[in-house]
Amino acid sequence: MSGTRPDEQEYHFDVVKWFAVAAVIYLVVGALVGDFIAWELAFPALNFDNQYLSFGRIRPLHTNAVIFAFGGCTLFATGYYIVQRTCQVPLWSTKMAWFTFWGWNAVIVGAVITFPLGLTQGKEYAELIWPLDILIAVVWLAFMGNFVMTIVNRNVSHIYVANWFFLGMMVMITYLHVVNSLAIPVDLTHSYSIYSGVHDAMIQWWWGHNAVGFFLTAGFLGIMYYFVPKQADRPVFSYRLSVLHFWALMFGYVWLGAHHLQYTALPDWAGSLGAAVSLAMIIPSWGGAINGVMTLSGAWNKLRDDYVLRFLIVSLAFYAMSTFEGPVMSIKTVNALSHYTDWTIGHVHSGALGWVAMVSIGAIYHIVTKLWHREMYSVSLVNTHFWIHTIGTIIYICAMWVSGIMQGLMWRATDEYGNLVYTFAESVSAMHPYYVLRSVGGVLVLIGALMMLYNVVQTIRGAKSPVAQAARV
Amino acid sequence: MSAQNRKPVKVEDTGHEWDGIRELTNPPPRWWMITLHASWIWCVIYFLLYPSIPLLHSSNEGLLGWTQIKEFKEAVAENDAVKAPYMEKLKAMDASAIEADPELRNFAESAAKAVYGDNCAACHGTGGEGAQGLFPTLADDDWLYGGDLDTITESITEGRMGNMPAHIDAVDDATIQTLADFVLALPEGNATDAGWAAFNDVGCTGCHGDNAQGGALNGDNYAGSVNLTDRIWRFGGSRDDVLRTIRYGVNQEGVEQTRSAIMPVFGEKLSPEQIKILAIKIHAMGGGQ
Repeated sequence: MSGTRPDEQEYHFDVVKWFAVAAVIYLVVGALVGDFIAWELAFPALNFDNQYLSFGRIRPLHTNAVIFAFGGCTLFATGYYIVQRTCQVPLWSTKMAWFTFWGWNAVIVGAVITFPLGLTQGKEYAELIWPLDILIAVVWLAFMGNFVMTIVNRNVSHIYVANWFFLGMMVMITYLHVVNSLAIPVDLTHSYSIYSGVHDAMIQWWWGHNAVGFFLTAGFLGIMYYFVPKQADRPVFSYRLSVLHFWALMFGYVWLGAHHLQYTALPDWAGSLGAAVSLAMIIPSWGGAINGVMTLSGAWNKLRDDYVLRFLIVSLAFYAMSTFEGPVMSIKTVNALSHYTDWTIGHVHSGALGWVAMVSIGAIYHIVTKLWHREMYSVSLVNTHFWIHTIGTIIYICAMWVSGIMQGLMWRATDEYGNLVYTFAESVSAMHPYYVLRSVGGVLVLIGALMMLYNVVQTIRGAKSPVAQAARV
Repeated sequence: MSAQNRKPVKVEDTGHEWDGIRELTNPPPRWWMITLHASWIWCVIYFLLYPSIPLLHSSNEGLLGWTQIKEFKEAVAENDAVKAPYMEKLKAMDASAIEADPELRNFAESAAKAVYGDNCAACHGTGGEGAQGLFPTLADDDWLYGGDLDTITESITEGRMGNMPAHIDAVDDATIQTLADFVLALPEGNATDAGWAAFNDVGCTGCHGDNAQGGALNGDNYAGSVNLTDRIWRFGGSRDDVLRTIRYGVNQEGVEQTRSAIMPVFGEKLSPEQIKILAIKIHAMGGGQ
């Protein structure tokens, strides 16, 4: 093999540790805020007539907390971890890595302050005001620069596939974030987008879908490509498959955004293009899922008692499911029913809770045991977390399927005279039981996240689990 | 089956290793390759069938001739075709004739449900119950402007904006207190002569009428003045409620505590037919004055 592998001690893992712990904390925060607004939708009085707790202000806090705080910290932690281990060199710059830690957390603190105050750009998943947008860009470029230079300094001849996915994400997210956030500031907290009308909408959803495609998919596929073979101790199933689906995803994803704007002022051709390419993305997406799952071939028995591996493999099942569901929803006739309904919310959460959260949780459990050189404080708690998270996710997405499809059908139902059968308000009240059910699913996910936080803290503290102590006696 | 049994069928790896991870040289599954090719072929076919390719000034038209506007218009036309026979009659007949025709009345009721629910219910309630202190009840036979079909139609089409002057500056407080006592005593049937005198002196009769029965009953619905002799009062019947209304009036510009009573104009938002069926529905709610 090329080069000599440095000692573990030479890697810079402190920043990885901090990002990993931050990710777990933000998972709890994101789930807490999310579940609170879920209850708010079921029982609107829960906003207590307080503007700072109202749904419109808290919802971006939830989405940003889970995507950028939890998802972002997971990406930083795993990115820094993977790039060092697979390139067999320490990080190019520790200082820059710490800058990204404090910079990214400053963005998150900024979000926590500005959203409840109602300071927003009004663009979904890009709500943060322009000074924070600039900070994001600077931190992100520092992440990319450090990552690229670490790869340049590598001690191995080839770049591992996980790093391609991270690089793809970094290049595209820089591009998407900067272009979508271009705005003319009027004061410190307000700005106007430089785009107007349907152009603004198109740019926004070009970003919006690619936040999913590159931040929440490419980056997390990078995570999958390291942690699945590592945890399973098996070689990756197919190198060729990884090359093909990598490039198919990179070229395909950027076209999808228009499927968010079908049947609007967007020109027909843009919507059709988005829908057609969306459907063509099922197979490339499945390429990643197949490569991950097939990596386990010959080692299926490991699923029986390796709970971390279960998180990783089930995440791939959810990934395959939601990358099938999304394209189906972008077909014009389906979209006409599903658009603006809870089905969209359910779809997002099958991706967020099923795919992103589960692959992250698996990776973080793995990373914690490696970084602190010890087993998890309680393995049975990891197992409980797996089940409670899976059940919570399934309850959530099933509730939203029923609610969303019912909504879509109620909105379009006509009687024998051709008149609308339902008022809008009737469709709202019909959703109530599913909103309650969704909130219950959210509670389960939140409890699971709290279990994880407790388990991680106890592991880091070096506490001995009661079971382990009993065994020792 | 154990992992060991599989070892003999060893697949070559790529010869590289990263942190102990190797990659095998397995080809992608055959079905995956086939469907991958099918995916881009699908795109090509779709691009030919639907407008998808941006050209210099517009885009390709697509062999199917589909546009979203066309799809929308077709769907609307399909729905209109179902409604057409009823709508034609509806247009030709006036509201009272429609009420008398059972079939059209059924149609009107079915058509009015969502129109009412989406436009009226937010203020007046799903059953026309109104909201105490804020929005008038429709489901009773007490009307501010009149409850016949024509007046209801006018209220919906033109909107309404009640008007009552503020008296806090023009009238001394003792008189205002007297007026409040008078108003509260009227429905009980024990209004005093002093009360009637103050009512006349301040000029309340101008809108509420000499009998205090309000504009609608007196055939003058200019200001939507309320009947003071019953207790069906949209701004509430407590002494404080009454005092506030007398002091600050209704819809008085620049008066901070004035009562707000604005019915929006729907003539620009709803079609004449929609207004017609709404009038029929609301007329029926109110007991059909």
